[in-house]
Amino acid sequence: MPKHPMLFADHWYRIDLVTVFWTLVVGALVAIVLGVVARRLDMRSPRGLQNVMEWGIEFTRSMSRDTMPSERGVNFVLPFAFVTLVYLFVANWLGLIVTIEFEPGRDIPALGMLEHVKYSLNNSPTENMNMTLGLAILVWLVSHGYGLRHPLRWLKQYKNPMAIIDEVTNPLTHGMRLFGNILAGEVLIEAILKMPMLFGWVPTGLPLLIIWLLYSMFVSTIQAYIFALLLTLYIGHKDFSVAHH
Amino acid sequence: MSIIEPGTMIVSLLGFLISFWIVKRVAYQPLANMMEQRRKHIEDQIQSAERDRAEAERLLAEQRKLLEQTRNEVRDMLDQARVRADEQARQILEEARAEADRLIAEGRQLIERERAEAMAGAMETLSELAVELTTKLLRSRVNETTHREMVSEAEKHLEELVS
Repeated sequence: MPKHPMLFADHWYRIDLVTVFWTLVVGALVAIVLGVVARRLDMRSPRGLQNVMEWGIEFTRSMSRDTMPSERGVNFVLPFAFVTLVYLFVANWLGLIVTIEFEPGRDIPALGMLEHVKYSLNNSPTENMNMTLGLAILVWLVSHGYGLRHPLRWLKQYKNPMAIIDEVTNPLTHGMRLFGNILAGEVLIEAILKMPMLFGWVPTGLPLLIIWLLYSMFVSTIQAYIFALLLTLYIGHKDFSVAHH
Repeated sequence: MSIIEPGTMIVSLLGFLISFWIVKRVAYQPLANMMEQRRKHIEDQIQSAERDRAEAERLLAEQRKLLEQTRNEVRDMLDQARVRADEQARQILEEARAEADRLIAEGRQLIERERAEAMAGAMETLSELAVELTTKLLRSRVNETTHREMVSEAEKHLEELVS
């Protein structure tokens, strides 16, 4: 696992600065790009990125329709699912674009960094388990918040106590799946980068790296989609506005 | 040290929430509003198009009916006019015939009268001539008074003869 500079490195409430930093950077990137597009919306003749955005919204909407029992639920989940989809897409790709390593010459205790240890400064925020689990818990909270609009029906879902197991496994697998896929991709990139060069200059790992990068791009895209899909599915499960099957 | 880091979790989640809020406000909301507006616009357009079509169809039917009605009226009027014209022609002909009859009758009357007048004139002359002849025959035996008596008697006889 790549090492990151930490705030409060010795405490249980330590904060991974790389994850937090790139979390915000991804948010800013998405906000700026989509914001610029949204500033020049044209209702009659959409062009360029607006089409892509509209396609994204329509894509999310049809995805939500497939998993949500009611149209009201679709409208509720649509912004969350759409923003999450775009956000995760960018976030998952982020670690593939560039790898930055930093090796401090001396200990930096404030950031929990030790002398002559390599620290990775650029990773996808979703490569951190805590971040993805945080997202999964957020989805879990939102789904229950939405389900509690009908408290009696919400309670009735636990007629079968096995449903309680779902409440633990769903967010856990939801977060871990994303984290695992992205981490694996980036760890392997790191490993390939550490392959020794033939005669000191022939990059033997390059073909492997390219193949792995392409595969990681694919995985990143798919994982963003899967996370958003499961998000709509989990919230859809808690949509009790119509009688459940 | 466990790999669970609640601090990272909470702070990155906050970061995501802030990002989500900004993206939703800056990009998603305008886009969704625009798409909703477009949906409404298209719906309106379709509705108004349908309305216009129904209206057009209604107008067309109305026009068609009106045209048919007018055509019927025109035909009726033509028929009536034809009947009236025939009637008038017949009437004129009749009047002309009556007038001609009248004229012929008048002419005949006139001829009759003229003939009678001519006859009367001829009789008078004839009676006068007869009297004169008789006078010449009788000469001195007849005076002025007897002459007048004889003339009137002759006239009376002639009138009897003529009538």
